[in-house]
Parts: sequence; structure tokens; C-alpha cells
Amino acid sequence: MTEKVLNAADAGFEKSLERLFDLLRIPSISTDVAYAHECEKAARWLVTELTALGFDATLHETPGRPMVVAHYSPKAPAAKTPHVLFYGHYDVQPVDPVNLWNTPPFEPIRKKDADGVERMYGRGTADDKGQLMTFVEAARAWINTTGSLPVKATFLIEGEEESGSPSLIPFLKARKAELSCDAAFVCDTNMWDAKTPAITTRLRGLVHEEVTVTGPRIDLHSGMYGGPAMNPIRVLTKLLAALHDKNGKVTIPGFYDGVNPVPANTRKQWASLKFSEKKFMAEVGLANPAGEKGKSVLEQVWARPTAEVNGIWGGYTGAGTKTVLPSKAHAKLTFRLVGKQNPDKILKAFQKFARDQMPKDCKLEFSGHGGGSPASEISEDNIFIRKSTAALKAEFNRESVLLGSGGSIPIVRNFKDILGMDSVLVGFGLNDDAIHSPNEKYNLSSFQKGIRSWVRIMGALAE
Amino acid sequence: MNASDAVLKHIDEHLQASLDRLFELIRFPSVGTDPRFNGDCRNAAAWLVRKFDALGFATSVRETTGQPVVIGKYEKPGMSSHAPHILFYGHYDVQPADPVELWHSPPFEPEIRKGKDGGGQIFGRGSSDDKGQFMTFIGACEAWLAVHGTLPFRLTLLIEGDEEGDTSHLDRFLAANKKELAADVAFVCDTEMWDDKTPAINTFLRGCIADEVVITGPRIDLHSGYYGGPAANPIKVLSRILASIHDRNGKVTIPGFYDGVKPIPAATRKEWAKLRFSHKQFLGDVGLAIPAGEKGYTALEQIWARPTAEVNGILGGYTGEGTKTVLPSKAMAKLTFRLVGGQDPHKVRNAFRKFVKAQVPADCKVAFVTHGGESSGVSVAADSTYVKAAKKALAAEWGKAPVMSGSGGSIPVVESFKKHLKIDSLLVGFARETDSVHSPNEKYDVESFHKGMRSWARIITELS
Repeated sequence: MTEKVLNAADAGFEKSLERLFDLLRIPSISTDVAYAHECEKAARWLVTELTALGFDATLHETPGRPMVVAHYSPKAPAAKTPHVLFYGHYDVQPVDPVNLWNTPPFEPIRKKDADGVERMYGRGTADDKGQLMTFVEAARAWINTTGSLPVKATFLIEGEEESGSPSLIPFLKARKAELSCDAAFVCDTNMWDAKTPAITTRLRGLVHEEVTVTGPRIDLHSGMYGGPAMNPIRVLTKLLAALHDKNGKVTIPGFYDGVNPVPANTRKQWASLKFSEKKFMAEVGLANPAGEKGKSVLEQVWARPTAEVNGIWGGYTGAGTKTVLPSKAHAKLTFRLVGKQNPDKILKAFQKFARDQMPKDCKLEFSGHGGGSPASEISEDNIFIRKSTAALKAEFNRESVLLGSGGSIPIVRNFKDILGMDSVLVGFGLNDDAIHSPNEKYNLSSFQKGIRSWVRIMGALAE
Repeated sequence: MNASDAVLKHIDEHLQASLDRLFELIRFPSVGTDPRFNGDCRNAAAWLVRKFDALGFATSVRETTGQPVVIGKYEKPGMSSHAPHILFYGHYDVQPADPVELWHSPPFEPEIRKGKDGGGQIFGRGSSDDKGQFMTFIGACEAWLAVHGTLPFRLTLLIEGDEEGDTSHLDRFLAANKKELAADVAFVCDTEMWDDKTPAINTFLRGCIADEVVITGPRIDLHSGYYGGPAANPIKVLSRILASIHDRNGKVTIPGFYDGVKPIPAATRKEWAKLRFSHKQFLGDVGLAIPAGEKGYTALEQIWARPTAEVNGILGGYTGEGTKTVLPSKAMAKLTFRLVGGQDPHKVRNAFRKFVKAQVPADCKVAFVTHGGESSGVSVAADSTYVKAAKKALAAEWGKAPVMSGSGGSIPVVESFKKHLKIDSLLVGFARETDSVHSPNEKYDVESFHKGMRSWARIITELS
């Protein structure tokens, strides 16, 4: 039966692409309120599509962006047919700096590049619209071919993933009974490489903060006040410069509380991956790993916490020069968390660290956005992971790599804590997809083999 | 009655005529930056030519790339070629009068109203900046000539029309007419007194250079999850560099930065200490309390006589609403350096760039953008003939020794005189802090005008 469905998926691939492009054209940026109605539009588009497939699909308003929930019950369920949840997010990252895009970010194009590989370009192609549509299209292939999905399914597609998912926890809590399943499948991660599938079992947590340092109450003339006036940019840069020691270790007292060393076995497995640090760095124009000394790049990304400055601004930043001493300077930071690091404690430790360095004449304010999430690890001999590994082997003819991910997917933690279910992280993105950057792309093969993989996994789950 | 007394008496007796003449000049709405007033600027220049001609000066209107300049030359026939040659500077252009509705009397219809202290105040745009100020010198010359028939030095009057706008016009004019404008010293009347009762000679002016640093790490913005850790973060690199510019005592750490900076003379420091400058009030006005500059220097010294390195702006990564988990490709900062006499602006710029380059890790690139010109700081020797003469004359007129003050900002014309004519400037002015220059209801006290003329007359006497 699965073979028939796979053929149907291939036959309908061009149509699947067209539908994905429709979704990509909606600029559903969640971090900027100016795009709130576009998020609403993307959510409605999904409800319409899923309803047409026979799902019981609903748009749920939240204090932020709406959630899409869609349920499907198979026509003739076997006794052991599991109930699984599929998760994705329709919101996308902002597109700045927009001038660096080769094509408009919300006018997706399909292109055969010089290397002969076909790719689609546009914001959200890989993160996460292209990925979430792999399971939507797999469901379509099953329903169109057999008249039903082989499993009981719930699709949960949110619109605040890129802005810290502030509405998610209350939503999951309020609909615990409706959303609790046997397992969750999350499609928002990468393959190991273009030929090797991967299941992510280790995820870093995340917490963010925004800091504002105020010196003088107004901008000052640097001739009249330069010297005696406190300069908040100087104060802020000193604070940021103090975050790391010369070995790349974070200096905030208590920061590493709850961080455990990577088990020897895991280290061995990662070492055998023959991950090329050189290539990984070179792809983005770098050569020297800048993280903690003594840790491999993979370890730095998968298993070590970080403190990063994501943005900084203050004073005059227009063309030319302006002899001004600014009143304020700002920075946005994120902390990637591992092991048992507690997001609240990390924030408090950072705030204290910052306060301790403030000169008397400066004010310090914090205005973090959204919630933090701790890191999570998923058991690798879980039945759903085993079934998925087998299905992916059938599709790619290779063993899946069980890996870590530097990025956080807070949903995984929340599914476990609130709904009591494990998550299987299967995604088809590639490391060069430029998610969060200009010219985001998704390989056509990622999309097609992604659909085929879900067809196989859905089939395997019913057996 | 000595030489001076007769001149002072003449000034006193003709005060009304001098005021009438100033009023005529203020009536020209010579706003240099607004083309609608170009005709008025020319009319003001032509009026000056008539007045200077009447004094017996060889006067002409000279074209520049901006508003015309008025040049008036005086040389007594048979005067020794060793006689000092003074270049006097002022500007006839004024600031725009907007917002006009906030004026209590029309800006270009000068009138005298009584101030709080009972003294008369001349209201009108340009009454202080700079028509009232430079006409004090003209009034003094007129009185001297009336009493003595000649001036005791050679004199070139240079009254320009672009001071409130693009100062590069005059700079070009000076560069092109170096020979003709050669002089021993420039007198500039465009500054303030220390307070209502205490005159000031501005002897320290800081120069300024501006630079921009751009650090590039990864070639594109990165996801902070996928690359956070191993990827060099240009904001971190830039922060480290900026944080290292000052040591914990507020001293600039750039090697060679202080080359050429002379210590403030002990006498000057002592004098400044006596001024009872309240840093509490100065900083309190802008919401601060503690001087943040070099330890061991007072706030006044930090502003007037010490160089600085300041970050004027910084930008990198995501700065929009909310959060974005990005590792930026680039980070940028704009800096200015305030320089004092003796520092070579070009060398400071190079030293800064070298300092930055030395701290950029192998994985990052750095680029610099030069902004604006390079103006040096100026410190006028407090013991020059001219400063000494002015000190003595001002003390006699005001009954108080003048404050040898500084100015944190640069006065471009002083720099241009130094650059093109190789001469120092003597900065003496009679404006008060309350004059509202550049604001509605600009005024100049009759006392400033009257005693300004008398002060210049005494300075001329000292030089005779």
C-alpha cells in the first residue's frame, strides 16, 4: 500500500510545490506586529487546506498569533493504531537586511543552480513552511490514494515559533486532553547531509534578554560634554566584552550550573561522524572555531551553552558623522542552554552580572521578549524513533544519524512537560539552507523526499 | 588724559550713534543658509563696504563659493613693515529666525528693552551672534581714528557670510588668498564672557576627527543556534575593542594617542580651579552626577584641555522589534576624537586604526570609513604679546582679570587660520550665556556692546 501512496506523492509533486509557494507568498513574520494580519492569513490558508483534506481544522485565536489545530480519524482504525501529533510553524523570521536578497523574500522562485541542484528560494522555504508542508502533502497522498490516513493524527501548527512561542504553554495547558497523543513528530530540523537522514535527540534551550543602558538624559554635544559625560555605549560594550574570558568561557557567575560533560560514548559517536569543522566554518566565511577552547565544534554547537549578542544599537547610526554623546545604548542577547540549566536562573545571573558592572551614573533596564526554555534530550530507543529510523532507511538507504541540534525547539520540552509525550525530530533541511539569513532556500529533493519519508513513517506507524 | 582715555570718552559720548549703526545692520535679514535671503546678505555686505570705506579702509566685496566676503584693509602710509598686522574676523550672516512666533518683537526690527538687572538689552536676530559682537571692534577702530587719526597697526577686516552654514566656503577662500590675507595674528569676536562680570579669552580649542569601524565576521548573518559557539561574533569583537579604548582611569589606551599633548600649565589649572565651576550643576543639567573622564582632571579640564575618544554610535545585528536569534555578519561603530593642541590628527587616526587592527581576530575583517576633515586642537600660548595685551586691557576695563578659558568644541575658522595663514587667533567676545544665540529672542546687552567697544579700544592702546 505504501508503494502506491509514494507513487501518488510523486505524481502530485508539482501540485504540492504550487501549494507550498502559495503559502510562502504570505509574509507571516511573527516578531513584528505590522505583519500580524499576514500571520492570520497564513493560519486561515492552512485551515482551508486541511479542511479540504477531511481534517476537522480550527483556527484558535491567542493573545498573539493564531494556532491551527486539525484532527483526523482514520476510516477503519486498527486496535493498535496510534494517535500521533505533527507539529510545524507557519511564522517566519524577519527578512532584514532585505537588500542582500537576490530575489524578493516573499516571491518564492524555483531554480536549477549551477551545480545542477534544484532549489527553491524565499523566506520560510526551509524554516518552516517547506518542512511543515512535507507532512501535509504526505497526508494528502495517503487520503487521495486510500481514502484515509493510516493513523489517528492531530496537526498543530503555530505562528509564534520565531518569537519565543509566548502563547504556546497556556494553549497546551488549556487543551491538554485534546492535544495529548502517543508521540509528537516535529518537522523543523536538518538532515545530516544531503544523503543522510537524521533524527535529533538533543536540543539546546534558549532564553533571551534585551538590555538598555541610559547615561545622560538627552543626547549631548561631544565637544561640550566629551570627557566628563558618561557614555552608555562605552558602558555597554564593556559589559558585553566581559561576558567571555579569553578561552571563550562565559564568565557570568553560576552560568555553568547544571551543565554536565558529554558522556564518553556520545563523544565517540560524534567523533565518528567525520564532521568537517573546516567546511562547516568555511561555508560562512570563517576558519577558526571561536567557542570554548578544548571543545570540538560539534560539541560547542550541540552540547555547550553560549551567550551571544544578537544586536546592538545606540547613538547616531546614519550616514556620515554626528558629534553626539548618546543618551542610550541597547543590546539584544540570547543564551543557548544545555543539560539542566534553568532559564530563569540564567537570566537572573546575567542581570546581576550586568548590574554589578554599572557605574553609578547609568541606569540599566531589561526588557526581554517571550519565554525561555531549558534544553531537552529524548530517549533513543523509543518505539517511535525506532520505527522512524527504519522508514528513513527505506527511503534514503542509509542509517539515520542521531544528533544534537544547537538551535532550540521549546515545543519539545513543552510536549514532554505538559502533554507527557516524547518528540521525534525528523526534518529535511540542510546546513546551507540559510535559514534566518537572506536568500533562505530549500532543496527540491528535501521537499520531495521529505513528503515520501512521512508517507513511509505514517505507514510504518500503522503496522 | 592718556591716549586711551580720550578714545574711551569718544566711545561713551557716541554710544547712541554706534547703537544706531548696529540697528541698521541688524535690519538686514542676512540669513546665510536660506537662498531667499541671498539678496539681503549682499545688501548687508554692501552696507559694510560703505561703513568701512567711510573709515578710510580699502574695502571690497569678494565672491566665494558661498556668500560674499567683505575685506577692508588699513595701512597708514609710511608705516614700518615691522608694524604688527592684525586680521580681524567676524560674520554678518545670522541664524534663521524660526520659530518666528516665539519672538516678542520682530527678529529683524531691533529694539532695546530693559533686562532684569535694569540694563538695556538689544533684541533682534544677530544682535549678539555676531553683528553686535564684531561691531564692537569696528566701533573701537572708529573712535581711535577719530581721536588719533591713525591706528597703531596694519589691519585687515574679514567679515564673512557663511559662518552659520557651510564653513568650507571660507576655508577655500582663505586657501586661495593666503598671500593677500597674511597677518601676524587673528582677532576673533564671536565668543562668550565667563560670566556677566568676568571677561574671558579663549585659549584652548579642541579639534576633532571622525572615524567609522566596520567589523565583518561570518559572510552572512547566522542562526545563533546552529553557529552559536564556534562562530566569531563581530559585535563581541567590536565590543572588546571599544571597551579597551579606555583604562579604568578613563585614560585612552591607544598607543601614541597622547603624543604631543602638553600638561596643562600649573598656573592655568590654578586659575581654572578658582572659577568655582560646578560640575554638579553642569552634569546635573543632563541627568548625570559623576565626571566620567580622566581621573585626576576636573570636569572643566576634561572638556577644555584633554583629548577624548568617544563612540557616537554603534549598530549591528537585529535591532528591530522583538528578538531574532541571529549572529550578525557585521558590526559598526562611529567614533570621534576630540584633540588638543600638539596632537596630529592624522597620526591619531592612524594610531587608532592600528590599535583596532591589532585586536581583530584572524577570522574577522575590519574596514574603516573616514568622515569629515581633520581639525587639530589649538592652544594659544598664554604668554603671547597679544594675549598679554588683551589680559591687561580686559582687566582694566572690567576690573577683573579675564578667565583663560577653553572650549570643548572646535571653532572651524580658528583652525582655518592656523592651517592656511599659519597664525594663532585671539578669541575675545562679550556675549553672555543668556543671549539666546540661535534661539528666539536673541539679545545683546547694551553693556556688552558698550564695554566691548571700550575693551577693544584698550587692547588697541596696549598694542600701540
